[in-house]
Amino acid sequence: MSECSAVREGMPLLLTESLDANRRELTHQHIESCGLCSAEWEAYRETWAIMGDLPEVAVPAQVKEAFLQKAGIAPKQADNVVPFRRPPAFKWIAQAAAVVILAGGSYFLGDRNADRIQTMPATLNNVTASPFNTVSHQEPMSIAETRVLDADAISPEFEGRPNISNVQIIDGDASDDKVVISFDISSKWTVTGSPNDKSIVRLSSYMIENEETVTPRANAIEWVRRTYSDPANANPEIATAWARQLNNDSHEGARIRAVENLTNLPPAVATPTRDALITALQNDPNPAVRMKAVEALANLVRSGAVLDKTTVDTLRRKAMQQDENQYVRVKAAEALSNIKP
Amino acid sequence: MSTSNQRETGEMKHLSDQELMAIVQAGDNSPASEIYDRYSGRIYNFAFRFLRNAEAAEDATQEAFIKMLKYSNQYNGTAKLTTWLFSITANLCRDYLRKADNRPKDSDDVLITLPGPDELSPDRSFEQRENEQRVQRALAVLTAEQREAVVLSRYQGLSYAEIAQIAGCSEGAVKTRVFRAMETMKRALMGEASGGDRCLNVVQ
Repeated sequence: MSECSAVREGMPLLLTESLDANRRELTHQHIESCGLCSAEWEAYRETWAIMGDLPEVAVPAQVKEAFLQKAGIAPKQADNVVPFRRPPAFKWIAQAAAVVILAGGSYFLGDRNADRIQTMPATLNNVTASPFNTVSHQEPMSIAETRVLDADAISPEFEGRPNISNVQIIDGDASDDKVVISFDISSKWTVTGSPNDKSIVRLSSYMIENEETVTPRANAIEWVRRTYSDPANANPEIATAWARQLNNDSHEGARIRAVENLTNLPPAVATPTRDALITALQNDPNPAVRMKAVEALANLVRSGAVLDKTTVDTLRRKAMQQDENQYVRVKAAEALSNIKP
Repeated sequence: MSTSNQRETGEMKHLSDQELMAIVQAGDNSPASEIYDRYSGRIYNFAFRFLRNAEAAEDATQEAFIKMLKYSNQYNGTAKLTTWLFSITANLCRDYLRKADNRPKDSDDVLITLPGPDELSPDRSFEQRENEQRVQRALAVLTAEQREAVVLSRYQGLSYAEIAQIAGCSEGAVKTRVFRAMETMKRALMGEASGGDRCLNVVQ
């Protein structure tokens, strides 16, 4: 076997740093001195890099449900959720209200300046006459407000089958006939605006960081990802939200997705991106997340980004055997080799 | 009741894999959800790349975690839980591929089971989506053994020793499989000075 053949045979192993030190050194020396093998080595490296373009695939939610069901473990529901049941007599009203709510998407939208919550007449006429119930306020409204009301301020008709949770019943004085019922209740809001409106940005950030509670989760997250990767919508708040997800989410799949999302953000928001990647590279317990982070940093370097001293030092430490994962070490070394002095 | 359950769920997040498995081995399956949350992503992605079929990957993922519970006593606490889970999953995937009816006949079959580039990752650049498809096609050309080895090495970052344990072969065999796989991938993705077009045609 010629020297070139032997060297080429070792190239895939060189990619994964699986050659022993002696053979690795000899292989590198040969590659530097042989034009054909040098080209071959570049082809392997590029192949390896292109293979990295396969994104992580999210596990469909029904797989977990089916697994837990098959294992005889019922998915846990919050214990403090009290399902709301309508009296049968109001069924027809609720059905009509559901149509209104589905069409208009505005449920429980009351004027907070009004003395009482105005109940929405639940008739089919509302649907044809006014499919969208819109509100316009001089002052910005809070969508997460706390209300304290007397019982007679609330309509006894509950429409739209809302979820009630976190219920507390306090009967402070048994001698009177007063009772205090406190609860969280779901409500439907429809907000119209541009992706650059502060409230839309803030809602989007909230969806990213609370995706467990966002429904339908995948669509919402997908929309945020697609919208804010457009340079026209570059927003550091979104980058910071992805960064927090990368550094804090307990699920590795979510952290890997956060790396991918950060990598797709426009250069204008590079600072939170770089900081989050370096934190993940330093601290993430999962090698797959560190692999993604170091790949993203290597890509940043290749695209001409200037890294600060802390980042360079971290890459150097990772390259010099500090990381247990060989691929992370190789990628860290590759990123370092691309940094211009 | 509610507080107790919430505390239990919260506490499990702080337990190690070995501690969670010790609870399962004691006959309490309550850590199943936490273990699933930790590793289902890696297991599903491995099965998806190995089988090139989303539905089969879903089945393999679900079945792998069922087997984890059923045969929890076979888990050796000194080994990594991930390695054991990958072993179970790899066995399930191999069984699936062995069934003649399920085996893709040619690359056209592969294209049917793979999501289109827009479907899979609509926000990625055109080049990334193109590459994604090319990689999917190139992976389809590999033998099952090569694909298993290269997927575990490239996408899961496992060492050759771990892959050997999962594949039930020697480290030397894993090196050979990765080498052959990378040769094929390189030809498919990069083409060659002589015959590059021919190689690309094979996988398209």
